[in-house]
Amino acid sequence: MSQAGFVLEGVGLRRGGAQVLTGLSAHLPRGCCTLVTGPSGAGKSSLLRLLNRLAEPCAGRILLDGRPLDGYDPLSLRRRVALVAQQTVLLTGSVARELAVGCPTLDAERAAGLLERVGLGASFLSRSTEGLSGGQAQRLGLARALATDPEILLLDEPTSALDAAATGLVDDLLTAFVAGGGSAVLVSHRTAHTRRLAGHALVLRAGRLAETGDPAGLRYLGPS
Amino acid sequence: MTAPAIPGWPGVAASAALVALAALLAARARLGLTADMLVAAARALGQLVAVAAVLAVVFAHGGVPGSLAWIAVMVLIAGHVAARRARGLPRAPSVATLAVAVATVVTVATLVVSGVIDTRPHVLIPVAGMVVSGAMQATALTLTRLREEVETARPQIEARLSLGLDAAAAFAPHARTALRTAMLPAVDATKVVGLISLPGAMTGLILAGVEPLTAIRYQIVVMYMLLAAATLAAVTTARLARTALFDEAHRLHELPAPPSR
Repeated sequence: MSQAGFVLEGVGLRRGGAQVLTGLSAHLPRGCCTLVTGPSGAGKSSLLRLLNRLAEPCAGRILLDGRPLDGYDPLSLRRRVALVAQQTVLLTGSVARELAVGCPTLDAERAAGLLERVGLGASFLSRSTEGLSGGQAQRLGLARALATDPEILLLDEPTSALDAAATGLVDDLLTAFVAGGGSAVLVSHRTAHTRRLAGHALVLRAGRLAETGDPAGLRYLGPS
Repeated sequence: MTAPAIPGWPGVAASAALVALAALLAARARLGLTADMLVAAARALGQLVAVAAVLAVVFAHGGVPGSLAWIAVMVLIAGHVAARRARGLPRAPSVATLAVAVATVVTVATLVVSGVIDTRPHVLIPVAGMVVSGAMQATALTLTRLREEVETARPQIEARLSLGLDAAAAFAPHARTALRTAMLPAVDATKVVGLISLPGAMTGLILAGVEPLTAIRYQIVVMYMLLAAATLAAVTTARLARTALFDEAHRLHELPAPPSR
């Protein structure tokens, strides 16, 4: 029987002539938040690019809900599996247009709702993207990804530019997203606070899987 | 009409004194270009003599097939030269050659079909040569700018792709930037023609003794056709380069590091 969620079978990835991931086999289940952690350069962000099909494995294969990832239409897959990059790249001059990049039919009411979800408030809708702080841009990036109504969120250090209050808000959003039937893959160094969000975890080291399982039992994360 | 002011071979030999002067200046300034300048001058002489000899045969006996063969060779060389500006862009030689070919065929065919020029070799070949040259410059500029855009704007392009936009939509803003830059020289040249410089075709006709008011008619046609050729070449280049830059899953290819200069 096929497993729900992502299954990686001996996945390898080369980037810029270097081997980034090697022989990676893992299961990232549906219906929970999977924490992906490990030292810098372990290949965590590259894994998210593979799951969003921005990159193609040089070895092995990736399945989503039992079906090879390359069997999905890449454009609709990227809307279902939304990637929020660590560095938010703003693409337009206004918050309203930014939210509509991936969803041109987005109406003002839904746009305001998305901004509320990420704690920016509906008043941001009329603002320019000029002058947004790093944390505001990061939350706008998250709202922009949510606009495509994804089933799975791939988040690369989504709270790296946020203060404690905004971090708590994003944590709540993720918890609610998963409780509502969504799934998340969260790349984070901040293992202390992300551990409680995650129901599953992978530890990567030098492009290989070092540990996987319940976050509470992983050596890399230390004692709870 | 005055007699054509064309120098004899002694005059050409005398003009080599200017090359000697330029080489001397370069040597004194230690530019490291003296040898290059002398080789370039000698190459120009050799190439032009050879081209003139072949052209004389084509003009006399080639007819339309000979002209088309000549134009095809020009297109191939222009595509090769333009592609060298964009090393690392996937399929750059075929993209550049096809873009120059499309611009040349459409522009020259329009001029012939509308009766602006006829198909005698001594008309068709020089006119096509100007078109190929303009298309080559626009193609090279477009490829260079596209490469720079892909290098600097990869995060923006991939941000759009990751939101489910297709390659065309994700690349469109960057293709527009590249196209604007590539087409500006042709637009600017059209704006200032006659004000800043007397362009080649008009200068040639005036030197050959044609009245200026007659010479400008040819020049107007030349400027308009160069504008069209540059636009066609740049747009075709951007379109073809996009298909080479992205794969079927709308992923942006990795580009090799730019060549060291």
